[in-house]
Amino acid sequence: MENQKPHVLIVDDERGLRLGTKRLLESEGFVAEAAENGAEGIRLAKSNEYDLAIIDLKMPDIDGIEVLKAIRKENPNTVCFIATAYASFDTAIESTKLGAYSYIPKPFTPEELLLQLRKGYEKRLLILEAERLRKEREERLLEIAYEKTRLKTIMDSITEGALVVNRTGELVMYNSGALKYLDLHEIFIGDVILEILPVEITAIIQKFIDSETYIPNSYSTQVELKPNKELVIEATCSPVPHTDGSLAGVVTVIRNITESVKVEAVKSQFVSMVAHELKTPLAAVIGFLKIILDDEVKVSPEQQKDFLKRSYTRLQSLVVMVNDLLDISRMELRKAQREIKELEIDQILKSIIDFLEIELQKKKITVSLHTDSPACRLKADQNEINRLFTNILSNAVKYNKDNGSIDINISNSGNYLVTRISDTGIGMTKEEKAKLFQEFYRVKNDKTRGISGTGLGLAIVRRIVDSYAGKIDVESNPGEGSTFSVYLPLSLSK
Amino acid sequence: MSVHEKVKKILLVDDDIDLLEQNKIMLESKGYKVVTAENVEDGWNQFKKEKPEAAIVDLIMEEHDSGFILCHRIKKDSYGKTIPVFLLTSATYFTGFKFGSSTNEEKEWINCDAVLNKPIVLEELLKKIEHFFEAVA
Repeated sequence: MENQKPHVLIVDDERGLRLGTKRLLESEGFVAEAAENGAEGIRLAKSNEYDLAIIDLKMPDIDGIEVLKAIRKENPNTVCFIATAYASFDTAIESTKLGAYSYIPKPFTPEELLLQLRKGYEKRLLILEAERLRKEREERLLEIAYEKTRLKTIMDSITEGALVVNRTGELVMYNSGALKYLDLHEIFIGDVILEILPVEITAIIQKFIDSETYIPNSYSTQVELKPNKELVIEATCSPVPHTDGSLAGVVTVIRNITESVKVEAVKSQFVSMVAHELKTPLAAVIGFLKIILDDEVKVSPEQQKDFLKRSYTRLQSLVVMVNDLLDISRMELRKAQREIKELEIDQILKSIIDFLEIELQKKKITVSLHTDSPACRLKADQNEINRLFTNILSNAVKYNKDNGSIDINISNSGNYLVTRISDTGIGMTKEEKAKLFQEFYRVKNDKTRGISGTGLGLAIVRRIVDSYAGKIDVESNPGEGSTFSVYLPLSLSK
Repeated sequence: MSVHEKVKKILLVDDDIDLLEQNKIMLESKGYKVVTAENVEDGWNQFKKEKPEAAIVDLIMEEHDSGFILCHRIKKDSYGKTIPVFLLTSATYFTGFKFGSSTNEEKEWINCDAVLNKPIVLEELLKKIEHFFEAVA
């Protein structure tokens, strides 16, 4: 017997046999318990699981067959023997039908009994082992099922699309993101997905499949699934290895990059525009220098000086433009170090008017400033507000006529502090007004000739107003002047 | 410059007065007579009045396509048909798309004889103009 002693239940109404058997078994290394009738046997079997049971067939209270049934019902793995002197073929069959392992005819010799019990105990061990394996397998299956749902939950919670194909190109796994970003209505596990996927992705997957061995490299591709950049995805394909290192399949992760592609396009267009705008003054300066340096081109000293002056002006305006661009880029990045404090808008406007004094005098422009006295306070960054109104006011001066005027009115309207700046300048057409806040847009006509500017002033104004959740209105008629109304929300000041 | 029967007159149209003056001086230094204009309307009037032997038109003036429009008008004119018209631009860089006047399709809608990139390389421009004059002569 192995390390553990086998437990045996003896159910027999014959006292001598019962106690004799118990003694015999205990001396042979068993743990034995005895019951003197069927009821007692069933009671013991209910409170303990025995490895083996020897049940007398004929007992006064309960029949051995019934005891067998009861024990089997309680512990189906207990190996039971039916012992009887009234051995008959029929009872033998019936008892084995009911789950008895074997049949021991009475009287029996100790050797006969021990032989039977040892065989029975081996059987019992096999049953237990089989039971253990069965349970283990069930647990594993449960674990796999759990693993599967867990994997599915994880897959579906990923916002990116993911799909896995096996070596024959059949769909093994996918998540909802894959459907969404591939713009597919439905796909099924087992589909030959390579026929459905965009060719750019298929080509990469096919390369992995064709190479058959597992190479731990990933490849990405960008696919425009809907034209005009309406849906652009980036697919990254990576091989999935088996534990032995061979190729199991390919996983494709799909990212929606539509937004970043759009932003990229806007950005690169802006960069091209900037480059163009920077190049123009440089070209002018280079042109002048070339003429001055070229001995074959005859220019008078006066002309030379004029050209140098004009080069200087172009370079100065270039510096202004670079500064404007830096401001815009700072605003874009929200890098601007804001210092929000209470400002008196009328004071700021007065200081700007002082700053523009020389230009105002040159054109003999008069400025009037009206305020509803309590209306002028606003919490904001002084530099930004200063920049905002400087840009508008300097336009009001630049595009004004000689002996013109500028009228500034500050008031409260609803939740806004409204600053209205009216000029008597050249005004604008509807078409010009529509493009006014675009970067680098400048009204070009006879009247604007000779007025310098970067085309960024109002682009900066718009950005500052937007950053304070404000708004700006423009009213203008050609030849009559323009009125800019800047609305800055007062809630900022609470 | 090769000897011509008479001094060739070139119309320059550009809204950048600095570039306009520079190109004028450079072309004059090579023996051409130059008339200038700063916008489409003025350019057209000068063309009608001066009857230049060649025109060089900046693409982006009042509008992004001002140069196209002027080129088109000159090329539709019975006299304009006979002279070379060059479109001056740096737009090939900044719009990111390239255009030229080499294919028939482009010639269809860009009605000019050549597209020149800014800044003008004088030698290149002169070669093109001379080439055209020789071909006509």
